[in-house]
Amino acid sequence: MSKLLIDVGSTYFKVCEETKLAQFFRDFKKDIYDDLLTKCGDIFKHYAKEDVYICSSANGGLSTLIIGLTNSFSLKFAKNIAFNSGINIIDTILYSKIEESKAPLELIDVVIIVGGIDGIGGVFDERLFNYLSKVQYSNIVYVGTTQDAAYLSQNIPNLKVLDNIITQKLHVNGAELKEYLTNLYQADIVGKEDIKHLYEFTSNQIYSTPYIVNRSLPLIDANFEVVNPFIVVDIGGATTDIHYSRDLVRDNILSDSEYDRLVFKKLGVYKSKETLIFAAKNNEFVYELLSYLNVTENILEEESAKSLRILMQLSIFLVLYKVSRLNPAYVTLHLELLKSIVLTGGITKVLSYEEVEAIIAFFYRKVMNLHSLPTIVMDYDYAIWTLGMKNDTHKEPKCL
Amino acid sequence: MQKVVTGVIGNDIHVVANRLIDISLQARGFEVFNLGVNTSLEEFIDAVVETDADILLISSLNGEAEGWCRDLQFLRSEYTLRDVVFVIGGNLAVGEAKQSDIIPKYQSYGFDLVFHQVDLNTGLDELEKYMSERA
Ligand code: B12
Repeated sequence: MSKLLIDVGSTYFKVCEETKLAQFFRDFKKDIYDDLLTKCGDIFKHYAKEDVYICSSANGGLSTLIIGLTNSFSLKFAKNIAFNSGINIIDTILYSKIEESKAPLELIDVVIIVGGIDGIGGVFDERLFNYLSKVQYSNIVYVGTTQDAAYLSQNIPNLKVLDNIITQKLHVNGAELKEYLTNLYQADIVGKEDIKHLYEFTSNQIYSTPYIVNRSLPLIDANFEVVNPFIVVDIGGATTDIHYSRDLVRDNILSDSEYDRLVFKKLGVYKSKETLIFAAKNNEFVYELLSYLNVTENILEEESAKSLRILMQLSIFLVLYKVSRLNPAYVTLHLELLKSIVLTGGITKVLSYEEVEAIIAFFYRKVMNLHSLPTIVMDYDYAIWTLGMKNDTHKEPKCL
Repeated sequence: MQKVVTGVIGNDIHVVANRLIDISLQARGFEVFNLGVNTSLEEFIDAVVETDADILLISSLNGEAEGWCRDLQFLRSEYTLRDVVFVIGGNLAVGEAKQSDIIPKYQSYGFDLVFHQVDLNTGLDELEKYMSERA
């Protein structure tokens, strides 16, 4: 009996039968189980539970929606606390614009509502409840003026109320919210409810997608035009992962693994778009890079196909920058030794080879001062992932 | 108690008047939210929103307020503000300038009270008078 391989991503389901690969855009109004059942119910009928293998990257970190009264205080303070709690910000909404604001399509892990110093009341009204009725979220927390807490608790089920993050002096008071967010983040890593249900489809261990990608790395040079040492950059909706040959690092870590992995939780193009833009704007090369791409900074705030492509190009650039010598605080890879760069994940559906090459050329020439580039390999049909799913020579995951 | 948001606008670091304003307003019974020097117009407006203040009192000493205040009408229209009183004072132009030019200009930006090179206590007396007449 052949195997059925399924990857639950933050934006797509990828389904692989024998040689046939299909993908389905996730319906964020449904939970993963229902969505998968709707789309692949017929396929499942042909496979026994022990022949179904599932991996998921849908648990790649928390997504947050912050609704706040002003940019300079509520939103700024809440964003700062969320960043420091290791969260991927998805979106912020200025309360005065809430009626014109679109509800995010994806399930939000935590909605944060904030506004006003203690002592002022009537900050929030039905407009908030109307908006929230359109948002799918798992948790909701209120950290605004205490005067509105009772009213909001009556109208928003399961609202968690914590200390106001804005003090009487208009300073930030982050302790309680930070603890709450950090705990949520831990619980998320241990296992999302959504993921647990998927065991109704399979009797095999559900792996995280990055683990599966990592497992495929030893097989990559036999299956692709790839020469060691190489890196695999997986730019997804929520996070950006980089898997690299250990030959590229000179550190004192003794490890028996040939490949290591780094995760950039803040460089996804959908779920952590804000943090990606934040990182981009703080990068010393970014304006030169944008003009090289013939666009202005404004493109980052747009919602268009073009802007998505630019964001993806920026995330390639930022990942390379972060692991380069220019950013010694992070793991430093000897990119001058790099022979191949493999790109996988959603990015291969959006960017052309030429667009990827343009950005890598900019990085090597401007940042590295090198003229020869590594070869670029695009994993257009997620072949890397299927390699890893099939490579179950070592059954037990070393880490998850 | 009436609430006042105050501070020094723009890239202006003249802090002495700001401290005096804070103390004087408190002495006159206002609740003061002092944003200090180097404050942008958006931060001022946002502080008014977060504190539900009655008065925004901006000070400017280096003469560059004009460039920083032009967007007042636009920014205040972003929110549905209660009847907030907008006040500005200090050195409101670079070098010599006539009161008769400066006052209408700042009024057209949306300020209710404009005090160019007016002593602090004189200005605050007028502010209190304005507030009680309005009430
Ligand atoms: C000390 C000082 C500095 C110090 C400031 C130190 C500090 N951190 O505070 C330093 C040396 C850093 C400095 C720098 C500069 N300064 Co200076 N500085 C002065 C000085 C000498 C005194 C200011 C002071 O503290 N006065 C005491 C306080 C209590 O008085 P006040 O500020 O005038 O405020 C009173 C009134 O204006 C009023 N008031 C103020 N706000 C409001 C608001 C309302 C609503 C009301 C009713 C009243 C009110 O009440 C206060 C009490 O009566 C004045 C000249 C002077 N003698 O006034 C120049 C002066 C203010 N500076 C000036 C300039 C140009 C500068 C610089 C641009 C110089 C330069 N080219 O680098 C820089 C600007 C730096 C910046 N980014 O802001 C000019 C401004 C010119 C203009 N507006 O036309 C002045 C007037 C000097 C001059 N005659 O040319 N400065």
